[in-house]
Amino acid sequence: MLAYHDAMPNDATWQTRITLVLSGALRVWGVSGTVLPDPQDAAAFFVAPETAPTVRVRHEAAAGWTVMLVDPVPERRAAIGRHAGLPGLLRQLREDLAPDAPAGRLVIGAQPLLERGPDGP
Amino acid sequence: MTVAAVPVSVITGFLGSGKTTLLASLLRDPALARTAVIVNEFGEIGLDHLLVEAADEEILLLEGGCVCCSVRGDLVRTAGSLLARRAAGAIAPFERIVIETTGLADPAPILQALMTDPAIADALRLESVIATVDAAAGAATLDAHPEAVKQAAIADRIVVTKTDLADPGASGLLERLHALNPAAAKLTAVHGAVDASRLFGAATYDAQACGPDVRRWLAAEAFPHGAAGHRHDHAAGRHHDAVTSFCLRRSTPLHAVTLTLFLQVLAEHCGARLLRLKGLVDVLESPSRPAMIHGVQHVFHPPAWLDAWPDGDRTTRIVVIALGLDPLWLEALLDALDCEVAALQAGASAAA
Repeated sequence: MLAYHDAMPNDATWQTRITLVLSGALRVWGVSGTVLPDPQDAAAFFVAPETAPTVRVRHEAAAGWTVMLVDPVPERRAAIGRHAGLPGLLRQLREDLAPDAPAGRLVIGAQPLLERGPDGP
Repeated sequence: MTVAAVPVSVITGFLGSGKTTLLASLLRDPALARTAVIVNEFGEIGLDHLLVEAADEEILLLEGGCVCCSVRGDLVRTAGSLLARRAAGAIAPFERIVIETTGLADPAPILQALMTDPAIADALRLESVIATVDAAAGAATLDAHPEAVKQAAIADRIVVTKTDLADPGASGLLERLHALNPAAAKLTAVHGAVDASRLFGAATYDAQACGPDVRRWLAAEAFPHGAAGHRHDHAAGRHHDAVTSFCLRRSTPLHAVTLTLFLQVLAEHCGARLLRLKGLVDVLESPSRPAMIHGVQHVFHPPAWLDAWPDGDRTTRIVVIALGLDPLWLEALLDALDCEVAALQAGASAAA
């Protein structure tokens, strides 16, 4: 199983970057809301849409990302998703927070980009 | 032995912007004598077809609607038929295909069909997209019709027509077009007269002359940096008509997996907004052979690996023309993905 190296930097630069990624994704999906780092945990962020419950996402060094619904009752705070990387995290957030947002998939075509000579590429 | 792919150019432009006049003029140029033309038009009768003067050209009319809507079927069948008849000697051995879209067409599906359909993709090569913009009515058309904005934004070359009727510089049209699409060559035409060699001829992606050709194709210097040394703001990109164009640059190589994930995330979350993406990428696992990438919305060519860098500049350059995408977001996303991939690979190495 792949695991993150312990040295995955959860520093201020990384926090700013992840905040940008998550808040930018909200805008792309047309979701109004905010993304703020968790002041208690350098590896976690609160994603707070205006029209849906806040979720807390946290980077776990060995496993990737966990997604947790923020609930005032601690017993109800359960992980609702776990992802190895940002692509999976973003997919779950879109599906949960913006289910009507357009979703596509990468298609690699058949046409070569470079011109081929008469005797081959 | 393989047969060289036939270059295909797409002429697009809003209704009345002079596409057919341009095409008719071009087809009178002896240099384009061996050109097959695919045109279509709305309605029962293809009037545009009758206006094209090219007695010895192969002209096919796609009946029954807009080429971008029926492109998966009609265009592929038509292009396939042309190729088959050429191979059989049933028609003149054309050396180029020009597709004229309707005025309301979104050119993206046409490019995607050319890139992906197995029946034709291997035999054709997308060379260029040419957009016509009316000097007199162009500004108002851009204001009123997002289709026209998209046509100009996606083009490799923009031909400003009817410059005998209006000065596109005085009206601010040229400046606006440059902001929309800084890399596209801007030409002017009166009654369709334009030098064909500036629209066709030089292959857009030519592996044999990859140095200047790749640089011209990418034209990264024409775009503002998405971030300058990771310091950036909204003013870094050009925002006009909701189209943003910018260039992401990286001086350190990207992991191959990062590039794949980056394109996957873009295609998944904002494919429809991605009008065009072109890039020359320094891939960590391929230090001496840069990857060349090109996509239209969520559809990409297979990455091509150049034999060498085209010049001394070995930085990754990814040019993006998009509808309302923030360069800051793409910058952060690319960095975040590469950071994750690096950490995963470090973890795998440590475990080994």
